[in-house]
Amino acid sequence: MEVFLDGVRVERDGRVLLDIPSLLLPDGRTTAVLGPNGSGKTTLLRVISGLDRPSSGRVLIGGLPVDVSRAAYVFQEQVFLRRSVRDNLELGLQLHGIHAPERQRRMEEASRLFGITHLMDRRADRLSGGEGRRVSLARALCLRAPLVLLDEPLEGLDRPTYSRLLHDLPHLLAAFDATRIIVTHNPDEALRLAQDLVVLIDGKVRASGEKREVVTNPREPEVAEALAYFVVIHGGRRFAIPPNALRPGPGVLQFSMEVEEVIHLVASTELVGRIGEVRVNVELPAGSEQSARGDRLCLHAERYYELR
Amino acid sequence: MTELFAADGRFLAIVLRTLVVSGTATAMAVFIGFPLGYGIARRNFRGRTLLLGFINTGMGMPPVVVGLVVWLMLVRSGPFGDLDLIYTRTAMILAQFLIATPIVVGFTTASLQALPPRLADLLSVLGAGRVRTMLILAREAKLGLAATIMAAFGAIVSEVGASMVVGGNLERSTRVLTTAIVTETSRGELDHALVLGLILLGLTFIVSLALTIIQQRR
Repeated sequence: MEVFLDGVRVERDGRVLLDIPSLLLPDGRTTAVLGPNGSGKTTLLRVISGLDRPSSGRVLIGGLPVDVSRAAYVFQEQVFLRRSVRDNLELGLQLHGIHAPERQRRMEEASRLFGITHLMDRRADRLSGGEGRRVSLARALCLRAPLVLLDEPLEGLDRPTYSRLLHDLPHLLAAFDATRIIVTHNPDEALRLAQDLVVLIDGKVRASGEKREVVTNPREPEVAEALAYFVVIHGGRRFAIPPNALRPGPGVLQFSMEVEEVIHLVASTELVGRIGEVRVNVELPAGSEQSARGDRLCLHAERYYELR
Repeated sequence: MTELFAADGRFLAIVLRTLVVSGTATAMAVFIGFPLGYGIARRNFRGRTLLLGFINTGMGMPPVVVGLVVWLMLVRSGPFGDLDLIYTRTAMILAQFLIATPIVVGFTTASLQALPPRLADLLSVLGAGRVRTMLILAREAKLGLAATIMAAFGAIVSEVGASMVVGGNLERSTRVLTTAIVTETSRGELDHALVLGLILLGLTFIVSLALTIIQQRR
């Protein structure tokens, strides 16, 4: 079901939180809404879900006005009833009027798919972060809602759980026929999980479309920064440099950086410094020539995009 | 104790009257106070903090002051004097209801506000209507809500000031356990007063135990 926002504006206490003249999120695809904290991402998700009403404009889901029970929503915070995982999963199905045998079938399928079979009789509000995320996702997806909304679904997880879910989530989402919208502030997450991107800054859509098209054509400095590019000025022109594209040594687009910090990581060494006012980091393979704080380093950009 | 009840069933009548008056007042306070507390906990409106401030002040209102206000309203020369309610059990129920309601509203609001903030949103997206959402939230907050009923019943069953002022402590119609204890003490019947005191404690214990069993049931 496609999602269409028509002249949507959300205001609170005289502040404009969202101002979207027109936005179409295509049917059956995964769209990531990317933007810095406070850019209106969660507000957008709540308006699409029907939990909040826009101050003006309308949201259409599959051509019909938004209805709160047509969306499956995974909140950023883990929210459970103080009951078992089974009860938490079953409640939504019961409220949707699904009969007992079908409820059972869907719960079994979801618990298998999300690897939570062994948790079904545990208290949901006492699960660990990773377990809770899986249960939240299972609860939302077993509703078979035509619209699935995920608010920072990987926030606050430990590294192994994060990596595992980051890998599993696209497959899990693909198992259900729905339009999926994921809100995140992490560009890597957005690119791994979604097919389309919407970049939201200060409540306004600054870029949208198929992810490769958005990523390889950032156009504006704010959009480039939201996508984690380094935005630097060189010869009076502005360039967006992908985060892993700075290399030591001379090149076509080259800069001088004073090393402010050297961080030794497990598999690499990270040099932190500034190009002009912009703080950048350069990743070197572990064991490469050592730099020290205060050294001046000549860098070049392997890849870059010129901005307007 | 047998002697106490054997006389003419006076004390048994006092126990039953106490239960009826305080039980009815608690039930009314719950009936009004739960939805009010729910509304205050769920909605964000101008003046909410001030309102909660008043309610919390009401939780500590001296019963005798409430009794005095109700007496002024119901006394024959008062605005509701024509209703002829002064020195009746209805007047006592009304006064105890006014004492219990701020306790119920205040504790209900706090119990519901202690739930995860997104829980109501979750229930909405899972498809629960308003009434279902309220019932599920009440079940989730049952620890706090059962404590609310216990606190309200405990506060009014043990108060003496309001019952004395608006009920008049009439032997066969408005005497309850607390006013009976005062009477027996003033007559020098200390053993009677002590037994009535124990009965009052036992009554409070039984009601609280019943609610605690419901509260702690998994």
